[in-house]
Amino acid sequence: MPWLLLILPLVAALVTALITRKNGTLSAFISLGSVGATLAISLLMVLRKDDASPAFTWIAAGDFTLEIGLTLDALSRGMMVIVTVIGTLVHVFSLGYMEKDESKGRYFACLSLFMFSMTGIVLANNFAMMFIFWELVGVSSYLLIGHWFTKNDPVEAAKKAFLTNRIGDFGFMIGILMLWGMTGSIVFSEMEGGAAEAAAGHGKMFGIAVLCLFCGAVGKSAQMPLHVWLPDAMEGPTPVSALIHAATMVAAGVYMLARVSFLLSLTDAAQVIAWVGAITALFAAVVATQQNDIKKILAYSTLSQLGYMVMAAGLGDTNVAMFHLYTHAAFKALLFLGAGAIIYACHHEQDIWQMGGLAKKMPVTFLTFAIGTAALVAVPFTSGFFSKEMILLTAYEGNKTLFVIAAIVAFLTPFYMMRLFTVVFFGEGRSHHAKDAKEVESVMKLPLLVLAALSVIAGYGFVAGLVFGDLVPHEQVPSIVLVTSLGTLAAGALLGFILYKGKTQEVTPIGFIREKFFLDELYIVLVRLFQDAVGLLAKMLDTHVVDNIASKGTASTVAGLGSLFRRIQVGNLQAYAFLFGVGVILVVYLLVFA
Amino acid sequence: MMPAYYLEAAVVILGLVLMVMEAFVEKADKSLIAKMGIVGLLVVLVSLFFVSGPAEGDDAPIWSFYAVDPMALFYKGFALVTTILVLIMSLDYRSVLQHYMGADQEKPGAGIGEFHYLPLFTCAGLMWMASAKDIVSIFVALELVTISFYVLVAFMRRNVGSLEAGVKYLILGALSTGFFVYGLTWLFGLSGETELSKIAAALGNDDSAMVRYPKALLFSLAMILVGLGFKIAAVPFQIWVPDVYQGAPTPITAFLSVGSKAAGFVVGYRIMEPFFANHVAPQLVTLILAISGATILLGNLAAVAQENFKRLLAYSSISHAGFLLLALGCSSSTTSPVNVEGVMALYLGGYLAMTLVAFHVMCLVRAQLGSEDLSAYKGLSKRSPFLAGVLLVAMISLAGVPFTAGFIGKMYVFLMALQSRYFVIIALAVVGVGAGFYYYLKVVRAMYWDDAADDQSVQISTLSKVAMLTMVALIVILGIYPTPILNLFAA
Repeated sequence: MPWLLLILPLVAALVTALITRKNGTLSAFISLGSVGATLAISLLMVLRKDDASPAFTWIAAGDFTLEIGLTLDALSRGMMVIVTVIGTLVHVFSLGYMEKDESKGRYFACLSLFMFSMTGIVLANNFAMMFIFWELVGVSSYLLIGHWFTKNDPVEAAKKAFLTNRIGDFGFMIGILMLWGMTGSIVFSEMEGGAAEAAAGHGKMFGIAVLCLFCGAVGKSAQMPLHVWLPDAMEGPTPVSALIHAATMVAAGVYMLARVSFLLSLTDAAQVIAWVGAITALFAAVVATQQNDIKKILAYSTLSQLGYMVMAAGLGDTNVAMFHLYTHAAFKALLFLGAGAIIYACHHEQDIWQMGGLAKKMPVTFLTFAIGTAALVAVPFTSGFFSKEMILLTAYEGNKTLFVIAAIVAFLTPFYMMRLFTVVFFGEGRSHHAKDAKEVESVMKLPLLVLAALSVIAGYGFVAGLVFGDLVPHEQVPSIVLVTSLGTLAAGALLGFILYKGKTQEVTPIGFIREKFFLDELYIVLVRLFQDAVGLLAKMLDTHVVDNIASKGTASTVAGLGSLFRRIQVGNLQAYAFLFGVGVILVVYLLVFA
Repeated sequence: MMPAYYLEAAVVILGLVLMVMEAFVEKADKSLIAKMGIVGLLVVLVSLFFVSGPAEGDDAPIWSFYAVDPMALFYKGFALVTTILVLIMSLDYRSVLQHYMGADQEKPGAGIGEFHYLPLFTCAGLMWMASAKDIVSIFVALELVTISFYVLVAFMRRNVGSLEAGVKYLILGALSTGFFVYGLTWLFGLSGETELSKIAAALGNDDSAMVRYPKALLFSLAMILVGLGFKIAAVPFQIWVPDVYQGAPTPITAFLSVGSKAAGFVVGYRIMEPFFANHVAPQLVTLILAISGATILLGNLAAVAQENFKRLLAYSSISHAGFLLLALGCSSSTTSPVNVEGVMALYLGGYLAMTLVAFHVMCLVRAQLGSEDLSAYKGLSKRSPFLAGVLLVAMISLAGVPFTAGFIGKMYVFLMALQSRYFVIIALAVVGVGAGFYYYLKVVRAMYWDDAADDQSVQISTLSKVAMLTMVALIVILGIYPTPILNLFAA
């Protein structure tokens, strides 16, 4: 049965892409059917605690065999539930959001392809398979970001996302190969056995290998310095942002770290991981305070929360990271879909300063968005509260400096979210789009309501335990952590509300932050310099060495030989029989007398 | 379950029935014969999964020269699939046949009914050959195949090229058969046995003449290699290939290039296998490797200069024989978990799919655009995207691009050669593969980059579409997941 999780979305992707693409509605329902079925299977597996791990040999070459195999354990089962639940809701939401899109068929084909690839990452039992699906996820993300490929920005964003991810993936591949060499296996369960010995035997190199592996997570989970693609990826359709660029794909890096948590505990390199996470969390939260595009704010918020998770993973507690991933998936998907509803209602207006007063016009969206915001800023009794407590606790126990950074992020998060919330929902409508906004239809409301419910209850032990079993962290939180958490929440929210209440434009414009510390511009300059240098070198090599010696020399040799062989073919039967006879003599000589 | 030899009997009976029926089918259209043949062979193909070998204690004489093992069953299926596709191609090729058979307007089908049922007898011969394990049955099966090919190659009797090809194939074929049967008689004379298993057993006996007179044994093997070298188109016995391939009707060229070659390799493997673990092994392996290297090099380099697609594929077929011989040459020394039978079957399976797709496209283009030159393929992607697409897959697979059957086959051959440390041949093979990329992609370039001279498109029947898509799917599936075939032959 677990194979169905992979086969169904693949079949749906193939059928919708090759056969029914022209018929958007049919494609949509095929895609929805497949994701619904995988949701049912995932839930069933969680309830039955399936842990059969089927595998078959894919390639056998020499002593090396490569398996296609699935890992079913508490971690992968839980992750599957997250992926399929969010996936199903996003599919439903897309029915409404993409209703009038001309290439709906292609959109749903890509969504199914994404579901296939993501499932592959989650269930893979070895690194080779994970890497293949890792790349496939990159491809489907590329296709979906560039869905509106007739416009320039989505195309640029898709390209940027793909290339940036490739940089990370290159490190990932090197890491895989190094660890393969050190532990002698790429199957997770076998690596676990050889890891301790490898760590002891290889010392620093082992740490470097783990960091290379982490590069993959840096790319996919958009950590500094490869974070630049994620905000741009918001050019894609908003449901895609919710599914891929908030809840699931970007979490793949964190998931991968959780999968190989046994490696992280063996090396000091994990400290680097924790610091990268913390810096990303802080940087993204700061940038989020100055953005004006609703989706960009949410994107930076995602970056910041992913930073939290990576930090927790680096501090050695991947269960906490996964717990936050899980609650975050629910409330961030909710926020993105809510943003999607708002954008849809405002005729694709994304600037928060052009909105305003939407609370009365879109009551359901308002309410669900409020719940999502509450969960994100960790208001007590929402799911985000539980997981953020755990993150803060991990940081407190692991490294006090990191705890301070985490606390600052915990202050910034409610601040920028209150800013967003106040500006969008209260005050007066500041454009005619906002004034004309109407509540969205029920096919879009339904996912919002479901996700709102999940955002509240997901953090409680009885729900989380169902999904993740024993992996859910339970720990007594010391009062200093609790005080920090509540204090930063109150301070941040209050400040945000007071500063932005009734305002019609940015009150404290700080260009440096709004322009994301000019990192994109810096990258452009660096890339250009590097590219030009390499390009010049390659051109010289090509014209002087390759063209003159390699190509022309080989080509004329081969062509000469070719026409020589051709000349043997005189077409005359007597000559052929003669040559045949010569051949016989040759064979007899070689075999018998040589 | 039924005894496996019922299959051959069924194919022969089907052939005879169609032969009689041919007289009663309207001369306007003989395609019914081919269609019935296709359906009949499909039924036989399915029943292939329900056959059995000798039961416990069954020592009927037939089992001493008729093997039922994975290899036999695989190549029976191979022969059936090839024949089915050849029949489908012959339907697409009818207009050319009609033209060269000099049929008049009222009876366009006159004289081409035979073209549709003769392949069935070839098929029966190929199937017998897959099972043959006695030098007598090997020879009889091989001749059944060859004789029906003589007729089919020369079938277009108003076409000088076809007649010339027929004569060349007949004379050179007879020559090679002479050497082959001479080699078999020497082998019989030395061992006193006709059954291959008994010959192998005698090899272990130090009193056997085969052990006492190694030169004589080597001479008999040399003669056998000459005969088989002709069948599989290995250098220096490849000389007939370009002319015969070009002159023969295209479906028959495809049949020769796939069916005849596979049969040659099955027989070659069955006869040679005992000698690879023996005192003559070093000489035998050296010779096979030398032939393999020469074949790869000549096939690939000569193909580079070709402008005619059919001749290009003829040389390509020679070069693939070289790779298969390299696999055969690894028989005595490979230690890898994949064995030679498995790799040969995988290579030939992929070769079947990609070669038949290429020839199928060629049939359609020849019948409807009237040319076999590469220039006829210019801009095909715009005129007939489907044909261009399937031919693209076939070409990249023949060249050996990853995720195609052609790549996987070559990869395993290289792997085995590496394990056996045949570095010189590997170097030659690398040159061959490099040249291969050039001339296979030349076809792709013509289809996708060059501008078409006109905008004539090609009509494709549903049957042909299904056939080509099945083969393309096979290429991709084998390219990603070759394990089933390898497992079939795993010890």
